[in-house]
Amino acid sequence: MAHAAEHAIEETTTGLNHRKMLMWVFLGSDCMFFAALVATYMVYRGQSLTGPYPIDIIDVPITTISTFVLLCSSFAMVQALSATNRDDQRGIRIWLLATAVLGAIFIGFQIYEFNHFKNLGLTLGTNLFGATFFTLTGFHGAHVTVGIIWLLGMLVVAMKGRLGPASSLDVELVGLYWHFVDIVWIIIFTLLYLIAGFDAGPAALPGG
Amino acid sequence: MKPQPGQLKRIRNRISGGGYNYRRFARFAMLAAVLLLLLACSTGKQSTWDPVGPVAERQLLLFNVLLWVMVAVFIMVEGILLYAAVRYRRRPGQELPNQIHGNTPLEIAWTIVPTILIMALGIWSVITLYQFDEPPASANNVLHVNVTGHQWWFEFEYEDAGGGKRIVTANELKIPVDRAVRLTLESDDVLHSFWVPKLAGKVDVVPTRTNHMWFQADSDKIDSLPAIFYGQCAEFCGIAHALMKFQVRVMDQQDYDSWVTNYGPPPATTAQAQKGQQLFGQCVMCHTVDGNNDSSAQASRKEAYVAGGALAPAPNLTDLRTRGTLAAGLLDLNKENFKRWVKTPDIIKPGNSMQARAAHLYGSGQLSLSDDDLDALAAYLLNLQ
Amino acid sequence: MASITGVIARPTGYTGLWGWITTVDHKRIGVLYGVTAFIMFLIAGLEAGAIRAQLAQPDSTLIGPETFNRLFTMHATAMVFMVIMPLSASFFNFVVPLAIGARDVAFPRLNAFSYWVFLFGTLLMHASFLVGQVPDAGWFSYANLTSTTYSPNDGLDFWALGLLVLGVSSVAAALNFMVTIINMRCPGMTMMRMPVFIWMTLITSILLVLAFPVITVGLVELVLDRNFGTHFFDTSGGGDPILWQHLFWVFGHPEVYILILPPMGVVSEILPTFSRKPLFGYPVVIFSGIVIGFMSWAVWSHHMFTTGMGPTALTVFTITTMLIAVPTGVKIFNWIGTMWGGSIEFKTPMLFAIGFISLFIIGGLSGVSHAVAPSDFQQQDTYYIVAHIHYVLFGGSIFGILAGMYYWFPKLTGRMMGEGLGKWNFWLTFIGMNLTFFPMHFVGLNGMPRRIYTYGEEFGWGLLNSLSSLGYVVLFIGMLLLVINIIQSLRNGRVAGHDPWDAPTLEWSISSPPPVYNFAEIPRVEGRDPYWTTKRRAEAAGQPVAGPEARVDVSTIHMPSPSYWPAFAAVGVVLIAAGLLTHYSLSFVGGVIALLGTIGWSNEPATAPQSHH
Repeated sequence: MAHAAEHAIEETTTGLNHRKMLMWVFLGSDCMFFAALVATYMVYRGQSLTGPYPIDIIDVPITTISTFVLLCSSFAMVQALSATNRDDQRGIRIWLLATAVLGAIFIGFQIYEFNHFKNLGLTLGTNLFGATFFTLTGFHGAHVTVGIIWLLGMLVVAMKGRLGPASSLDVELVGLYWHFVDIVWIIIFTLLYLIAGFDAGPAALPGG
Repeated sequence: MKPQPGQLKRIRNRISGGGYNYRRFARFAMLAAVLLLLLACSTGKQSTWDPVGPVAERQLLLFNVLLWVMVAVFIMVEGILLYAAVRYRRRPGQELPNQIHGNTPLEIAWTIVPTILIMALGIWSVITLYQFDEPPASANNVLHVNVTGHQWWFEFEYEDAGGGKRIVTANELKIPVDRAVRLTLESDDVLHSFWVPKLAGKVDVVPTRTNHMWFQADSDKIDSLPAIFYGQCAEFCGIAHALMKFQVRVMDQQDYDSWVTNYGPPPATTAQAQKGQQLFGQCVMCHTVDGNNDSSAQASRKEAYVAGGALAPAPNLTDLRTRGTLAAGLLDLNKENFKRWVKTPDIIKPGNSMQARAAHLYGSGQLSLSDDDLDALAAYLLNLQ
Repeated sequence: MASITGVIARPTGYTGLWGWITTVDHKRIGVLYGVTAFIMFLIAGLEAGAIRAQLAQPDSTLIGPETFNRLFTMHATAMVFMVIMPLSASFFNFVVPLAIGARDVAFPRLNAFSYWVFLFGTLLMHASFLVGQVPDAGWFSYANLTSTTYSPNDGLDFWALGLLVLGVSSVAAALNFMVTIINMRCPGMTMMRMPVFIWMTLITSILLVLAFPVITVGLVELVLDRNFGTHFFDTSGGGDPILWQHLFWVFGHPEVYILILPPMGVVSEILPTFSRKPLFGYPVVIFSGIVIGFMSWAVWSHHMFTTGMGPTALTVFTITTMLIAVPTGVKIFNWIGTMWGGSIEFKTPMLFAIGFISLFIIGGLSGVSHAVAPSDFQQQDTYYIVAHIHYVLFGGSIFGILAGMYYWFPKLTGRMMGEGLGKWNFWLTFIGMNLTFFPMHFVGLNGMPRRIYTYGEEFGWGLLNSLSSLGYVVLFIGMLLLVINIIQSLRNGRVAGHDPWDAPTLEWSISSPPPVYNFAEIPRVEGRDPYWTTKRRAEAAGQPVAGPEARVDVSTIHMPSPSYWPAFAAVGVVLIAAGLLTHYSLSFVGGVIALLGTIGWSNEPATAPQSHH
């Protein structure tokens, strides 16, 4: 009977679950979004007409800490998925919470940083550095925030005891998203902090 | 003779099957296209078909070769398409045709042949790009002009028009024949594009950049001198984009030299002209008439404007009397048009800056100068005797 | 699902207005897209009429520069984003699941969401007319004309925010179709057995999800410049207007392939049907589409040839642009090869398909002449370019879409479109199109720039402009006949039956209109053109296929249930954008609605429990 067949495990052509595939292609699209923002930053590197310039503002040590925090949150995310797969209800809640909290700490660092920059004279409209920096890191922070909200939503479901091996995919999906956001941050950190973070005004740059 | 039953049916099928009409229509379409082609190739004042210098000529040559290749490809491919449509139309009771899936040698052929053709054309284009980027090394005494695009007019600055003399003018670019002219292109506000088709293809005028181009007017391609070539801004730049025109006046070396020598403010010999000179004082916040070829007045006005001052850069009117047109190529230069323009610029060129910026003259909605005043101004600027 | 959403019970029926608002059925969503886009086609067409009326004569004072600039901006923006793209989406929606043997798309609610966001984005952009602040900087709105210094009113904000919303719609739909095509094909349908239209949909979707984020960034930066004090494109703060052009065209060039590939796919379906021969060189046509998809990323700066990029950049983009002509040409040759040796029937879909090929040849050839940078210096920003654009977008995309409309109308509605009216529609459109746009090649080469609201008599452009305007009248009548044909056919068109064209693909094996579940039994295919195979085998066995697949009781089949969350969440999205134009509090409300919508949506199962038995 066609009816019985419909109740079989959802069959897909590739064997990959629809939602997982959707998340992967969405992340591919999101890659292009961040690529365009990073490109804008790189094109305008050294082009600011006035200061403050990166070297006056960027604090690599502090941001290294917040980067580490975000990396730890990815570790927590992996643990959360592992807990889900072995039906460790306590573990699921702890690690989901830990991921969200670590993510929130990262956002906390970002807010502190943005505020500090503002006090040092760098805002969106100050110069090209401000515009490109805040836009890129701002959108990244927005992505992290969306992730935190999602994680908290998952946590609520977990608190009701409804997250288990059967919902492994749901946890995997938020995990994919979370790791993507983390990788984007690694790229931002490397380019904007470790490399361009030492940029002085245009006169000091080679060819500037 | 009475047609056979089968014959009638065949004729009817041919007509309703579309093939018969299709072929006839195709012939008609070709005829119409040829007529259109003949009609359309007539060259006008701003045509790209009528080059008078090496840059435009080479660009046209490239295009013409492309055109003939395109026409040949068009006839061939459309022809085959039409032929297939007619030849293979369905006949009643026809069997299922041969279910061919493809033909690999054919695929290879019609991939490789176009690639080769395209690459040949591509290589020639690239050579042209490098060859014509700058005036040739053999060009002597290249004339350098700095072009600045404004909303909605073009400014021309000759650092050395001749004998070390610096000239700033607008809307009409005077050049000597048979001499390479290299332009630098900058913008004062938004994107524009400098295009005088008979001399060269366009190059955009981009704020924050300095672009360049060059052209030359060849005497052997021009019937008589002085000759006027028409140009127009070719990048949408706002409300009066359609009216941002200019002209290039090509003169023989003698006439050009005497223009340079005589470049200076109007002589103001008559009383009326002197009255006009006085009245012009109400225009100097934006317009300049150089007293002694020193553009510092113009430059400082521009600086004040950029810094947020109320003053606006406007066309330098020192040699207005030698130009052929007024209002960025819109009107022929004569007393009536001059008066009309100053009186009601917003009607002639909607969106232009004059009425908006000269509040002291137009504040009440109408020009505060009288008809006599306008006569005097015209006498001064146009050096009417 | 009582807790949050129990206030409004989940819809169960398929009837009435509420049925349309909550539908997740791909066939209905296809109709929604199609009707909305067709209305936009008529509106943008009228805008073109106004343009042609003004340009019919030199020194005309019919329409002033402000209105004219708005007209050409909205005409083009609407045609690209609110006509051709959603008309293609309409076909994706209706045809893709049927042609791959699926019951619906991978994410039916996401599909509905895409439509509602599209509708609201269209309305948002056109709300600019209501407040008299209409975008007027051209459909590609070059910086820095778009800064608040030079465009002080809100028009460009409507434009940027409207496009951002439309982008959400397009990307969501493209993601959906990618997963659907890759992951929901019926057993036996390998990638190389998919209909060409499905392949083109897949490539288009990949281009969409990768290209739209780039213009999203450009639009965000424009909004920031205009409203939040940044200087991305503002020269006074060090910004470079050329950055806008790069961001726009890195999106913009793949976008034009997004516009043409689906109609090419449609034509690739129609030619075999009406030639009674399979598509010539199927793998080559597919491969050419893939190559075009890849190469479309390498040619964008040919739109910027005159910006002063220097001979090296000009060289690179000349070569890449010329090379992309090769796979395009190969497709054309394969289409002709399909017709060659066939048994061609000139029904209206076939006429439009052949018309597509003949007009696209012209558009493609003029494109090759633009590819050559030195000759482009004379052509750029003139009516020669306008001619090219319209030959590929009207003669190409629109003709392909019209072909698809006539082809699939019987499947959608169960009735045939009138053949007589159809032929009149075709010929008038074909003649009108050529009469309008062919003279533009010449008037452009004769020195007439684009985007000018008037021109002087002395340039000799008057006669050809009059011809173009006359051509518009012919087009108008042609389109009028189309509208009449559609209405008449809906009312009392000839009953179509399940397979009026003796077509090769799966959608023709089910009844017209299809049952809500599409296929009673998911088909299994063994090669390309599966329905031809089925029919011919049956005939050879002495038992020809007499009718469509038998219908079954819909309650025996698992179908996704209707839902109001997609429309609800879409309201949230558009309010976020609208708030940026009015009050930020509105954006906040929109955000809350979008969030609630997301929560409600994710808590709702794809199929309502009560319909399960």
